[in-house]
Amino acid sequence: MKRDYWIYGGMGVVALLGIWVLFVGLPRWYPSDGVPTQTSEAAGSATDDELVAATLFYISDDGMRLVGFERRLVQHADPAVQGRIILEAQLAEPPAPLLSPIPAGTELRAFYLSNQDAFVDLSAEVTLGHSGGSLEELFTVYAIVNAITTNIPAINAVQILVDGKEVDTLVGHVDLQHPLELNMQWVADPNTDAAQSSPADQTDQL
Amino acid sequence: MLVMATLSANACQVSKTLAPTRGMTGRLLVACCLVWLAPGSARGQTADDPLTLVTPQDRRPLPTVRFDGRRMVAVSELAGPFGLTIADVGQPERLTIMREDRIIVLTANEGLVSVAGQLVALASPPLERDGDWYVPIDFIGRALALVQDEPLELRPRSGLVLLGDVRVPQVVARYQRAGRQSRLRLMITPQTEHLVEQSDNRLLVTFEADALDLVLRDMRSDALVADIRAVDGRPALAVELRDGFGSFSATTEPALGGAVELIIDLRPRAVSTTRAAPPPTPPAGSRGGAGVAPPAGPGTGPAALIPGETVGDTTLPLLAELAPPRRIRAIAIDAGHGGDDVGTRGPDGALEKDVTLAVAQRLRNRIESEIGLRVVLTRTSDTAVSLDERAAIANNDRADLFISLHANASVRETAVGAEVFYLSLAEYGDEAREAGFTGQLVPTVGGGSRVLDIVPWEMAQLRHVDHSARWAQTVADELSQRVPMSPRGLQQAPFRVLVGANMPAVVVEMGFISNPDQEAQLTSTTFQSAIVSGLLRGIIRYRDEVERETLPLDAGSGRLP
Repeated sequence: MKRDYWIYGGMGVVALLGIWVLFVGLPRWYPSDGVPTQTSEAAGSATDDELVAATLFYISDDGMRLVGFERRLVQHADPAVQGRIILEAQLAEPPAPLLSPIPAGTELRAFYLSNQDAFVDLSAEVTLGHSGGSLEELFTVYAIVNAITTNIPAINAVQILVDGKEVDTLVGHVDLQHPLELNMQWVADPNTDAAQSSPADQTDQL
Repeated sequence: MLVMATLSANACQVSKTLAPTRGMTGRLLVACCLVWLAPGSARGQTADDPLTLVTPQDRRPLPTVRFDGRRMVAVSELAGPFGLTIADVGQPERLTIMREDRIIVLTANEGLVSVAGQLVALASPPLERDGDWYVPIDFIGRALALVQDEPLELRPRSGLVLLGDVRVPQVVARYQRAGRQSRLRLMITPQTEHLVEQSDNRLLVTFEADALDLVLRDMRSDALVADIRAVDGRPALAVELRDGFGSFSATTEPALGGAVELIIDLRPRAVSTTRAAPPPTPPAGSRGGAGVAPPAGPGTGPAALIPGETVGDTTLPLLAELAPPRRIRAIAIDAGHGGDDVGTRGPDGALEKDVTLAVAQRLRNRIESEIGLRVVLTRTSDTAVSLDERAAIANNDRADLFISLHANASVRETAVGAEVFYLSLAEYGDEAREAGFTGQLVPTVGGGSRVLDIVPWEMAQLRHVDHSARWAQTVADELSQRVPMSPRGLQQAPFRVLVGANMPAVVVEMGFISNPDQEAQLTSTTFQSAIVSGLLRGIIRYRDEVERETLPLDAGSGRLP
């Protein structure tokens, strides 16, 4: 009988030990990174208080305009880091039914600031994977330019580079020899283009 | 919208975002290989006109050379004038330049240089040749300016390097002729006091400045003027007059961005003998930014006037009023893409480059047979032509209109309709927009300012934008009666093929080849004929409207009718 007490007591201790290891020990030994976003590499951990709304740009339902789409991104005080966070979100595949104006596989090679101009160095996929139409090219260029200049007012203009080099155009139309400023001509106006801009009211958290 | 707590760029953090280190070893290997191969390519070096270094104390030449067409300056030539110390860090592919405690690090064949902890992009990478280092001349304005205590500015078009507190206005001179008169227009940025005086057979415009950043455009000799040139060693412009010259009048007009335009109308002797010019009445004590002009006759002394005031023979009509309308005699048709550049592709495999060439050839045939204009095609076969070359072909062949044909594409298959574009100015910013007309200086990436390098060639279209807009509207109207138009049939965009065209120019996107229905249309004879009819009608309507008008199509272009 006395022997049974020892057995039950031992099992209880082992069970308590297991519970402690599972809920206290492991989290303590292997702490979570606390990374809620895809941009965590640049920004480190973030809580809800550290997320801010940023407007990114995607193709409208009719294909004739860009539409603004609000995303929650990690906030960073340094415009250079913030610009990279925004661009990486803009380059990422958007949730359906949104369509990205930037060819799949395009990567951000570098992002840096000089005075009030931002330099965005993209990988060659931005041209190699492009459909080739002038409207698509305008969308690609101004999704990038507007994503930066809309969300970081300190940046006045954006110069797009491809594989580290200045280019005349991406696919034969839009002049990229100079930094481009914010241009909302290609973005649907929610007041007048309601049919095309339905995603603009949506928000999402990356 | 993000609210940024700190908006100033931090150099260290900027550096962190830059230059991924992956592949660096490979690039160094490539750089080493290029350095090893350097003696062979050094044969591509040719001497070039020197830059001129302007300081408050003196002017001196700064030698430059060309490597494969790139204008470069030896680092050793920069060391003395700019107080640089060149340090050997024992790395053959790197050079360290010091200016007091500020350091510039060059890496052979790398277009980015480190300047006092900040990375700066250059137009081309530095080169090392036989132990000597060369940098592109924009290094002066973009990198060297960041380590100088005094203002440093490169004016690449006039070849001036300005160091210290020097007054060097930019003067863009255009010479136009219409009928028997001529007009010299000088856009002066910033507004600078100047003097216009005639002495014997020379008209001299002298500026109160240390040097002159002079750009001469559309210069030519005629019955009144033999030559227009800068005066050596002085901030002055000389107009050498012929015997046929009779009188002149000068007017100054305020311009945007703190500039002033000095307009000098030159008249032949016969006119001046029949119309006596009133004596000038200089406003008391006003010479600031003012033009000064005597009315007529050799040896007349100078007088002053303020912007907006005219001195001289004001009874004569203005040049623009005398100029006859420019007739439209030739049109350049640009079939978009070609060769390896297929453009966009339809779902059934139709290629944009084939559609544009087919429509261009149809349009050429209709124009030649029905309205008799001379037609210039930028390509007549499946060949690759660069965007700038297309505009150059139109310019060189003196086309009066330029139309670039394209087919559009969208990731949404439902996208449909034709669109007509003309050049937008907004993308180039206020400074660039103004520079297109005045050659105004604009801020540079590395600080200071410079003459915008897109002036004049790349901004040739700026002066024609109003006419391009009008023509684009006409074309869109005519197309809309024949083919489906997109919801936004008339638009502005910064299309590269347009910026260099020195005539009214439009891009026509004929439809969305990505739409299966439109792909079938675009490759059909019926649809192509409808497009061609719309374009032809747009050309005829615009030509007739222009030729009905009494004012010249482009009084500012200096092109003769």
